[in-house]
Amino acid sequence: MFDTELANDILTLACDKGADFAEIFAENNQKSSISLINGRVEKVSGGIDSGLGLRLFKDGRVIYIYTNDMSRDNLLKMTAEAASGCGEKSGEAVRVINADKCDTPHTVKNSPLTADKKYMIQRLRLADEAARRYSPLVTQTSVGCLDSVQNVFIANSEGLCRTDERIRTRISVNAVASSETEKQTGYFGPGGLKGAELFDEIDLEAVGTEAARSAVTMLKADNCPSGVMPVILDNGFGGVIFHEACGHGLEASAVSKNASVFAGKLGQRIASPLITAIDDGTIKNQWGSIYIDDEGEYGRKNVLIENGILKGYMVDRYNGARMGMAETGSSRRQSYRFVPTSRMTNTYIDAGKSSPEEIIAATEYGLYAKYMGGGSVNPATGEFNFAVNEAYIVRNGKICEPVRGATLIGKGAEVLMDIDMVGTNLRLAEGMCGASSGSIPVCVGQPMLRVSKITVGGR
Amino acid sequence: MADIEKFKAKLLSKAAEKGFENAEFYYQSSRTRRVNVFGGKVEKYQDSSVGGFSFRGLYDGKMGYYYSESLDESVIETVLENAKINALLIESEDKEFIFDGKNAEYSEVQTYDPSIDTVTAEEMTEYAIKLEKAAYAADERVKNVLASTMTVGESYISIGNSYGLDISEKANYAFGFADCVAEENGTAKENGEFAFYTKKSEFDPESVAKAAVEKTVAMLGAQSVETGNYKAIIRNEALADLTDCFIGCFYGENVQKGFSLLKGKTGEKIAAENITLIDDPLMKNGLATAGFDSEGVPTRKKVLIKNGVLEMFLHNLKSAAAAGEEPTGNGFKQSYKGTVGISATNLYIQAGDKTMTELCAMMNDGLIITELSGLHAGANSISGDFSLLASGFLVKGGKVLSPVEQITAAGNFFELLCKAKAVGNDLKFNSGGVGAPSVLFDGISIAGK
Repeated sequence: MFDTELANDILTLACDKGADFAEIFAENNQKSSISLINGRVEKVSGGIDSGLGLRLFKDGRVIYIYTNDMSRDNLLKMTAEAASGCGEKSGEAVRVINADKCDTPHTVKNSPLTADKKYMIQRLRLADEAARRYSPLVTQTSVGCLDSVQNVFIANSEGLCRTDERIRTRISVNAVASSETEKQTGYFGPGGLKGAELFDEIDLEAVGTEAARSAVTMLKADNCPSGVMPVILDNGFGGVIFHEACGHGLEASAVSKNASVFAGKLGQRIASPLITAIDDGTIKNQWGSIYIDDEGEYGRKNVLIENGILKGYMVDRYNGARMGMAETGSSRRQSYRFVPTSRMTNTYIDAGKSSPEEIIAATEYGLYAKYMGGGSVNPATGEFNFAVNEAYIVRNGKICEPVRGATLIGKGAEVLMDIDMVGTNLRLAEGMCGASSGSIPVCVGQPMLRVSKITVGGR
Repeated sequence: MADIEKFKAKLLSKAAEKGFENAEFYYQSSRTRRVNVFGGKVEKYQDSSVGGFSFRGLYDGKMGYYYSESLDESVIETVLENAKINALLIESEDKEFIFDGKNAEYSEVQTYDPSIDTVTAEEMTEYAIKLEKAAYAADERVKNVLASTMTVGESYISIGNSYGLDISEKANYAFGFADCVAEENGTAKENGEFAFYTKKSEFDPESVAKAAVEKTVAMLGAQSVETGNYKAIIRNEALADLTDCFIGCFYGENVQKGFSLLKGKTGEKIAAENITLIDDPLMKNGLATAGFDSEGVPTRKKVLIKNGVLEMFLHNLKSAAAAGEEPTGNGFKQSYKGTVGISATNLYIQAGDKTMTELCAMMNDGLIITELSGLHAGANSISGDFSLLASGFLVKGGKVLSPVEQITAAGNFFELLCKAKAVGNDLKFNSGGVGAPSVLFDGISIAGK
């Protein structure tokens, strides 16, 4: 998709002008989206992103330029400008010959570029209709889908040259239940590193019904009580707690600046011995998976925590150099407009030994968080927060009445130590993660687990 | 620019040939430069120049969209074909419009200053180095300045359509940002401050550093408080962030589709009398200042809530027609990649006359909430409910006593607006272009110890 001769000329010019390292990330991304509101197709749009980002390293400094004027003249001019401050020539550029064969295991069955949009709409309608059929309290729905076909070409002055085609599709289903004074929403967003076959693999009626059930349940729920209590986090999107409370703090971008509470703790106990946590970019066709990362390293499975002991970080080239650590296939960016940095892929807490029934039965009083919303963390202090979309009070080992409006807050390092039961029912769930290198697709995941105490904010 | 004019003419004429009844070309380009300094040295320098266009056109009465970042004539066919396919899939009965520009009068707005264009990479570096140095110097407890950056950006927007509308706007700005970590007795606190500049003469890294450090060290030694119902002053930035979450309720499209609880409440009292909410795109030095929206409609200043009474909603061409009202010049898209929706433009709660000291005295015992986190998850933009990680200060007998952390503040935004007891004189805008003064509220639910 990009001329290797031109790539060669750009990298050679950059190194001749003094860059220690140079890297090209060229991209062509065809996107489309459909949205239905209250059962009617409201918006259909799409377009093509195309551009190139050039990253140079010089004495620990990063220079990044990007453009979508892909003409040879412009690219060489920008390269010369970018490298102009580098000074003395410091190394030899390796010649870029041909791109390695793209051998991605994440093949798709039905490319969005040729998929039938009318069929996709017909399938989305199943979710919409199921949601509205569920209850007269469901007053609004919005369902839709997004897909992208991203072709990338990555080459660097050390001779790496790789291409990849990443095809992603995601469906969103949103149901709003209303009373005279209240509105509550239920939301699901299944997706994959796959094409339009997703529309047949997902039981869209079930997803629509579940979104509606969650919204209606929360409409009828009382406000969540406030205070410190045991919290049971269900599987799947419950893993957002680990993503926020710990995952971001294990990214080299935070660790290398000593801006993480987990910096300098390799080999030390940072979590309950029940916890093993993994970041795995290799799961076939999974939403957060990667064949190669955005600096061309192959995606891999990285053990972050093993039985409570910190085993590794997620490391990109730049921060790795600063920390003296090798890359882990974790460097990601939203597009050519972002400098890549260490990020998560599919990050999860591994299955434990307790059945979900045992965990509930062993809890005298607490909160059962069935569906989590999003959250955020301050890696420097470890303070996190996240919203609970659907929750229940647990009393005497039984799930009792639903409660709404719960928020969980705490400090990552503490909550990891306070996990006292880990379930068997590991499941992953799709999400988008925003940070300095943009918004990227990731999975969070975990089995059901219990934290002995968390501050619950209700009303 | 000559190339763009030529491309536009060709695209619009091909669109007419293809059967589009009306069509629009929206072009946007930008250059952004940024310096990050870490440890006294440049860590990162970025320079980007990008541009692209969005085509939209009415085909069979339905609006089809497609965009491209390439303005090569070879993309015209792909763009028009895809826009047509997209238009034909639309089922919504809403009437769509391309702006005919009749009687359009555009206000003069200040969005560009030549002095910003002259800022060199060296000057940006100098700013960021001073910023970092000043942050370390401001307090010995500052252990790590995580970010010290200077960004200079310029952008150009041009809209042309088949009615002959032909308008453009140039804008530029500079943005300084410092983020620091302070430590004391083994605990760390982190916070940052930004400054938005529209002229080079305004550059003042020392004051940004000072503000960032003050915010950060003030929180050292913070403790949680007892769970309960508190009187609270939500400080300007935190209230701006909170208001930002619920702006969507004032968007005509949301009101019409049933995604706003304010539906049918025009003319009713929805807030305390001391609350007035304004949207002012013509404001000097505003982050969202613009003379026209993404459809080419002239912008104007509007009062959404006047002394507690809901006066109006914000509209684009489509939602205005559906409501039988005039468009308000709020039909924006994020960039050429987006479709036209609705956005506020420098929306703010009008300042009152109380100083922070006076607000504290009125409150006597309660909390000052200085920061709310997790707004993208913990605030329900439709219902107005929020439950958010908060931090701030405990106030006893009208005096600020000690910093507070690890609490949540919960309530309903619209109920809160009715419980505003006094409004501060310290209007401040957040980095999203939404502003608020500090306001004293009755009864906020706090979860803590």
